[in-house]
Amino acid sequence: MDVGEMLETYFERLSEVSESERYKQCLQCGTCGGSCPYGIASPFTPRRMILALRAKLIDEILESGAQWLCTACYTCSYRCPSQIPLTDAIIPALRELSLLEGNPPEELAAALMNTARYGNPFRESPRKRDSWTKEVEFEVPLMSKKKEADVLFIPECFGAYHRRCREITKAFAEVMYLLGVDFAILGNEERCIGDLTRLCGEFGLFEDLMEKNIKTFEKYSFNRIVTHDAHAFNALKREYPKMGFEKEVLHHTQFLFENLDKLKDMFNELDYTVTYHDSCYVGRRNGIFEEPREVIKAIPGLRFVEMKRIRENALCCGGGGGGVWLDSFIRNFLKERPAEDRVREAASVGADVLVTACILDVPMFEDALKVTGLEGQLVVKDISELVLEAIR
Amino acid sequence: MKICAVLRVVPDLVEEIEIEETEIVPFAYIANERDEHAVEEALILKEKAGGSVDVLGVVDEDTASDVDEPLAMAYAKGADNLIKAILSRKTFRRYEVAKGLAEFLKDKGYDVIFTGIQAIDAFAGTLGGMLARCMNLPYIGGVVEVDVQNGTLVVKKELGGGLLGEYRVSTPAILGVVSAERPLKFVPFAKLKKAMKEANIDEVDIEVPEIEGIDVLRYYEPPKPEITLLEGDPEELAEKLVEVLKEVSVL
Ligand code: SF4
Ligand code: SF4
Repeated sequence: MDVGEMLETYFERLSEVSESERYKQCLQCGTCGGSCPYGIASPFTPRRMILALRAKLIDEILESGAQWLCTACYTCSYRCPSQIPLTDAIIPALRELSLLEGNPPEELAAALMNTARYGNPFRESPRKRDSWTKEVEFEVPLMSKKKEADVLFIPECFGAYHRRCREITKAFAEVMYLLGVDFAILGNEERCIGDLTRLCGEFGLFEDLMEKNIKTFEKYSFNRIVTHDAHAFNALKREYPKMGFEKEVLHHTQFLFENLDKLKDMFNELDYTVTYHDSCYVGRRNGIFEEPREVIKAIPGLRFVEMKRIRENALCCGGGGGGVWLDSFIRNFLKERPAEDRVREAASVGADVLVTACILDVPMFEDALKVTGLEGQLVVKDISELVLEAIR
Repeated sequence: MKICAVLRVVPDLVEEIEIEETEIVPFAYIANERDEHAVEEALILKEKAGGSVDVLGVVDEDTASDVDEPLAMAYAKGADNLIKAILSRKTFRRYEVAKGLAEFLKDKGYDVIFTGIQAIDAFAGTLGGMLARCMNLPYIGGVVEVDVQNGTLVVKKELGGGLLGEYRVSTPAILGVVSAERPLKFVPFAKLKKAMKEANIDEVDIEVPEIEGIDVLRYYEPPKPEITLLEGDPEELAEKLVEVLKEVSVL
């Protein structure tokens, strides 16, 4: 593609996913770059990307690789005074050009190709998606058998396949079971919900995943979807309705909060100090700040401390927006991962346990514990694991 | 330069595979990874030297449609012509397949024919060399890079131990590729779907001659390895490990 074609493809995509003219309102204030966890290392911060786009230097952005130095944390978009859709449009549309050129970072390319072929990024068989259900001592109902349920539970790819994240899935399923919730899963009929494919600029694949998933949803009768995967929650809530899917979608923090009265009667005392990490797509993007805090504070015996960077200002774990597959790429630019900075912060406020609510956080932070030498001092738990521990 | 790349499908090991006495029944087929590299290197050579790339998908009747997507993928990356060679054969002897393909390829005027150097299905790995033998052409395997200098091919080949050898070879020649000199090009989903609609695939039937040779009598699953967990403190563990290694004659 020459620069002219690149610009044409780019603005065509921009107009499809947002208001394509919005970028013209950029004030060049620099708030975005100053807020970005990668701003200090990036050759093109969002501000500079827009400047380069105006000067028709789109090829220079792509050559620098800056479009991959983003984990879609949404801080820039949240703070931009002109409300330019940086995370959802400006950056993914640049990424799409890299994909069309055929040369995205290798690990990411593999994850995308696997998702297209197997419906998950891990190169795992779609027929093993429900294998976690064989590792629990209660029955996890399947929609294909049950046909209807109050809650459709979506474990999503990490929750279904990733060794550590499956523990979170099992914990949340057990909490629902103990609460007596009428729930079911799609099992092997489920496939990637696709938020990360969207944020990586694989729009064609995202659309295909949405179409197929909605078709599967339509086979069954349920009142709402609950998921512990923050990105699945985000896509189901914000993107799927654009394709005509209009069901209530809850993040598991909201669901736990909704059931708090019942849970309170079941809670046993726990004796340690916890802090809570506001995950990007739970907090900043979707405004869920109080619910998880209320749940944690309701557990007797727990001492709750806040970190310095919380709520809208929380630091990203570095896993979103394809970040889990961009690690080696980003390491070329940046020495310390945001997750390492974050676990140090959690330890510095005296927490024994760092509680999270996005499935990507746990593996990201546990890796960071190893690198920072904090393993043994600090433990990472998803909120559902904490709740299960308190009610068991 | 007229370039051809051979593209085979193999059982997808991500999915279940049933092994019966005289047959292997995969759940799905996937492009042979080394052949994908062969296609990639063919396209790289086209970028360097000009010309055209034909991709020859080699399949049996029952796997004929499994190569459509890999062929479309090659088309999306810049292949010029797609051919599906459907083998009609009774045995699984590779030499016979090579003979059949050689018969088809011999008058096509290709300057270079690329194949992947191996396949997970061990029978297929030797195709490049056998094809060269049948067509009376030079063969170089272990290829990781191809250039053209004054009309001859300059080929880098892996020699093992981190060493590379550089060979000059005149065309026509057959090259067995280990890995292309750059990562496989990514093709976005929408582009692949478009290619699947637009790509024109020519079909040819390849009569595979029957020649005496080795027959498959029976397939076996590889035995499951026995795992023993050693327990104890580090000193005890070291002693036990030495015992075990002696038992299996490693020490
Ligand atoms: S924060 Fe918004 S207005 Fe300011 S430089 Fe960034 S994109 Fe432009
Ligand atoms: S979304 Fe986050 S990581 Fe991406 S550019 Fe904006 S601030 Fe940086």
